[in-house]
Amino acid sequence: MKSSPVIDIQNLVYRYDRREAVDGLSLQVQPGQCHGLFGRNGAGKTTTIKCLLNLLRPQSGSVSVFGLSPGRHEAAVKERLAYVPDSVAYYPWMTVRDALDYQASFRRHWNRQIETELLDRFHLDPKLATTALSKGQRTQVALIGAVCPEPELLVLDEPTSGLDPLVRREFIQTVIGAYQDAAPGERTVLVSTHLISEFEGLIDRFTIVDHGKDILTANADDARSRYRRLRAEFGQDAPDADTVSGARTLRREGRWLELMVNGEAESVIAWLQGAKALRVESEALALEDIFMAAVGTKGGLP
Amino acid sequence: MISRLNFRSGVPVYRQIVEQVKAAAAGGTLRDGDPLPSVRALAEELRINRNTAAKAYAELEAEGVIETRAGKGCFLKTGAPSPLRRSVRAERLAEAVDSVIVQAHHLQISPGELTDLLAQRLQYFQQQQADRPE
Repeated sequence: MKSSPVIDIQNLVYRYDRREAVDGLSLQVQPGQCHGLFGRNGAGKTTTIKCLLNLLRPQSGSVSVFGLSPGRHEAAVKERLAYVPDSVAYYPWMTVRDALDYQASFRRHWNRQIETELLDRFHLDPKLATTALSKGQRTQVALIGAVCPEPELLVLDEPTSGLDPLVRREFIQTVIGAYQDAAPGERTVLVSTHLISEFEGLIDRFTIVDHGKDILTANADDARSRYRRLRAEFGQDAPDADTVSGARTLRREGRWLELMVNGEAESVIAWLQGAKALRVESEALALEDIFMAAVGTKGGLP
Repeated sequence: MISRLNFRSGVPVYRQIVEQVKAAAAGGTLRDGDPLPSVRALAEELRINRNTAAKAYAELEAEGVIETRAGKGCFLKTGAPSPLRRSVRAERLAEAVDSVIVQAHHLQISPGELTDLLAQRLQYFQQQQADRPE
């Protein structure tokens, strides 16, 4: 990629007591991209994000946002980004209107048109007390507050956790769509989640984090075309495929063998046929399948 | 216009959109001059990134399937002459036809059956075009 990354993290380490939260993580996010940070709970996503915002100081490694150090240039960095944490709190005496005005008071710029449009889309009454909002509505208000200043970077930490599955997808899509519509190419999103399927179509590029380390970074389309699952049936017990290059065993049970391959389906299919497979099915994988294999398979991805 | 996206097909999402718009144009669901949804509306409807929707439209425009009118959005332009030379177009199609022939061989479909099937499918598309009310 030509332009310099909006976020550049190199070998980040952050330890809580003796437990390692982030253990040598590297991550680059390019401008204009919607970048997914995928990991199970406790994988180190939130700690990484907190280091971007100078809520935590990296113990080793380097973090830069817009080419600046969040520690040394905190104000300059924060002015150009907006952050939505996984749970949002408001002052209890504020209405939705008050809460948005309060947030706007810290900003140089506030797009009233987007604010009105999104309040309307979500059927949010500005006169409503923030204490009367459901969890989903609180997140909606927080997201509106994050996109109205039209920052260059939007950082969302588990934006859909704890929300009703039926409503959560649409509004994230709506907000990100509204945000990126005005100046595509300059509006960057970093979204952390463990609910991959909800963000399947939204993600340009992603990084899978496990035990504080980045274990895979790829473009979504590339990953979906490279990784495949092969399911083979044999006339007798399925053979051991642990030594087959480019393949990782997902399951071996009786006459069935399930493998994951990384761009080398043909040679692995040839091996299976050589091992007298009766039939072989090949299926492309969605990001969620790739994630599950990456964090749930012994030996990781092929 | 776009029925659904398949994230387990191994086909890039923007490619799926390009193919479905082209299929809609060939089948008469979309006609010359018909407007397409805006990039943002398409992204929202399909729950995809606007970058992906924009990439699909850019590709369709490069292939001469749609055109962008300033301030008005994208429109289908099947009637317009292709920007590609006839020999190039024929070559591209030959590639697609070759892969059908290879598949037919592996599915044990005889050459006769294949030509019959091709005729049937052509007729189906023509019928769809004819059936669409003006």
